Amino acid sequence: MSYQEKRSIVSMLTAVIVLGAYWLYAYGKVQSNAVAADDMRFWAITMLVFIGIGIVVAVVIQLLFHILLSIAVAVREKSREGDGDEQERGSTIESDMVTDERDQLIELKSMRVSFIVVVIGFVSALVLLIIHPSMAVMLNILYGSFYIGSLAGSVIQLFYYKRGIRYG
Amino acid sequence: MAKKLHITNNIRKLRFSANEMTQQQLADKVGASRQTIIAIEAGKYAPSLELAFKIADAFDVHIGDVFDYEGRAGGK
Repeated sequence: MSYQEKRSIVSMLTAVIVLGAYWLYAYGKVQSNAVAADDMRFWAITMLVFIGIGIVVAVVIQLLFHILLSIAVAVREKSREGDGDEQERGSTIESDMVTDERDQLIELKSMRVSFIVVVIGFVSALVLLIIHPSMAVMLNILYGSFYIGSLAGSVIQLFYYKRGIRYG
Repeated sequence: MAKKLHITNNIRKLRFSANEMTQQQLADKVGASRQTIIAIEAGKYAPSLELAFKIADAFDVHIGDVFDYEGRAGGK
């Protein structure tokens, strides 16, 4: 499995972890009647906090991923070439992580899918607002659609890395 | 709508002829990742014109000697 495929899986896991944590926290509070479901201030604060947590978690997980991957590549190269050249080993790690035109094309295609998911989420939220007028539900659908969009983007990235990609 | 072309290539053969150049060495020469070279060789990715020219330059051959497409009259 390539570095890019592993990175897509890590992004997927991050989105699932953060969305899962948000779900457990927010709905735990509502279920236990600690806050009212229509308390917009609670939803706004919770979402803002979880956006911050999401950014921090993503950075930490990506950092850990890079460190672990660098160690794995160094160990692999060392066992393959014996003691070898330290500088050469460093360049192997770098070239395994290089981003080129194929990665950019895959990223563009995955971003398109993410955007479509977010638009579907937005329209669904508006439709639900007509059927069931609740700002909390609308906000949660919007918030969830960003994470699901990110998740869908990572799935598409993984798909294109596995199957291959063409222009057009 | 025009039919999509299936691009073929001789990179594996050219690498072998070029003193058994590795995929990593080719990737370093053209500024791409090894995964991209693997994908091109396997026909899973058709590179941009720029990268295609760089690959041809790396082997010191004409671009037509590296890439072709299936169904071309007189194709290799």
